[in-house]
Amino acid sequence: MDHLTFMVVLVIALALFFDFTNGFHDTANAMATPIATGAIKPKTAVALAAILNLVGAFLSTEVAKTISGGIINEKQFAITPAIIFAGLMGAVLWNLFTWLLGLPSSSSHALFGGLIGAAIVGTWNFGAVNFLVVLSKVIFPALLAPAVAGLVAYVCTKLAYGITRRSDPDSGDKLTQKRGGFRRGQVFSSSLVALAHGTNDAQKTMGVITLVLIASNLQESGTGPHIWVITACALAIAGGTYAGGWRIIRTLGSGLTDVKPAQGFAAETSTAAAILASSHLGFALSTTHVASGSVVGSGLGRKGSTVRWGAIGKISLGWLFTLPAAAVVGGLAALLIRTGVLGLVIVTVLGIGAILFMFFLSQRETVDHNNAISDVDAVGEALHIPSRKERDRLAAKARAAAKLADKAAKRAAETAAIRAQAQAAVDQADTAVLKAMTKAAQAAESPKGKKQTSKKGK
Amino acid sequence: MQLASITAMAAAAASKPVIDWMGFVVVAVVTLVGAGFVVVMYSLGVRLTAVSGDDDGTRASLAAKWGAYVSFGFSVLAVVIGIVLIVPPFYKFAMHLLGIAA
Repeated sequence: MDHLTFMVVLVIALALFFDFTNGFHDTANAMATPIATGAIKPKTAVALAAILNLVGAFLSTEVAKTISGGIINEKQFAITPAIIFAGLMGAVLWNLFTWLLGLPSSSSHALFGGLIGAAIVGTWNFGAVNFLVVLSKVIFPALLAPAVAGLVAYVCTKLAYGITRRSDPDSGDKLTQKRGGFRRGQVFSSSLVALAHGTNDAQKTMGVITLVLIASNLQESGTGPHIWVITACALAIAGGTYAGGWRIIRTLGSGLTDVKPAQGFAAETSTAAAILASSHLGFALSTTHVASGSVVGSGLGRKGSTVRWGAIGKISLGWLFTLPAAAVVGGLAALLIRTGVLGLVIVTVLGIGAILFMFFLSQRETVDHNNAISDVDAVGEALHIPSRKERDRLAAKARAAAKLADKAAKRAAETAAIRAQAQAAVDQADTAVLKAMTKAAQAAESPKGKKQTSKKGK
Repeated sequence: MQLASITAMAAAAASKPVIDWMGFVVVAVVTLVGAGFVVVMYSLGVRLTAVSGDDDGTRASLAAKWGAYVSFGFSVLAVVIGIVLIVPPFYKFAMHLLGIAA
């Protein structure tokens, strides 16, 4: 029993870490294009995505009743916590590896792959996996999702540019296009994607933890996830999202094609529409595949944009390998765990070692919010388009200068007034003197002259 | 035994369609229509805003301004629908309002 409890704790810890890598891997799906176009500041974008993921995780508590959605024959073969542990290990290691390479790969595929490998080795039977379901739920959607999203994003980009193209009716000259509004729109479309992600992906981890708890008789069968499970999963996915897989953001935001606001809006809207349609009409598509396909499609749709096919090839290879590679790692882990407690310890130590090693490798060339989208920064510096903050600062400076000028003008006016007063006084004095002199002259003729002379001092 | 189970599955694969093409087509069409609608509306809004800014005060620019508001309104509606679809309690409530059992 003690051993079992320890196993359960290990699985929960690893599941939460998987949730963290999931958030971290998928920040890019929602936020890569708005960051690339400068619609949202990098740090604000990941914070927004993190909050929406957190909210999303709490909003939807309809936890998947099976871990794999029928890929693994859970009814015929006992899926022990040890198998789930091995599968999660495969998923986590593959997720971190693709992150290191900056490849947007599907976290669900990694999870399925790890579980498939672990289930086959753990039960020592190929029948543990329903390959037909693998084909229809994993392989085909992986091919179709980017195709659909890419096509829709292509059409939408064409529409967006076509509708907003403005030229002078007489001369045919291009007017100012004023497509800045798309930048604001991107905030909403990307937020929708982030929210949808939170309601979907956090549930997977909740499902895994809940099933492990049920399997080890720590929770009654048929009950929903405990509140602490929901909270922990929500925090893990939000934390991962906030940490931000900047390497993947760089790939999606500037590695595939250069993204402009109208194009980014079209891509994000297509992504959101595809995810919503697929999650409500029962043909599951992976968020990562949809988002990548949209970015490529929108790149093809905008005139004058370059699409880097080399990078796309690399990503496709990553997708192809995600399931088998995670399966191999999961299978190896399951093989070691079969040997007993020692094997479990070895897997845990090796796993943590590999995680630390990849983290160490990533530190040699850090990619964070400062340099994730370096192209944009470089272009910005070359052209020096003042950012909103800079504009605000300039405006503040102008206001301060205006105030100063006002003050100076006021002071000048005051001086002028005083001078005028003084002048008036002098004039008055002069006239008084003149009057006095005339009066004195009159007085000289009349006897009452003395009274007037005393007034002269005034 | 494993070979047998694999062949059994292969036989099942032959008789059962591996992929739900109908579902796929529905998803593809809905995605295209949904995203297309939002993008068209938002683009119209952006364009009409630009038009209304060309020369201020005239009747045409006023009309363009209101057109832009209407277009953006449709985009906001689309976002609201998206949120309703994402959040299960909202979704259930909306289905209840429409008289459809979720």
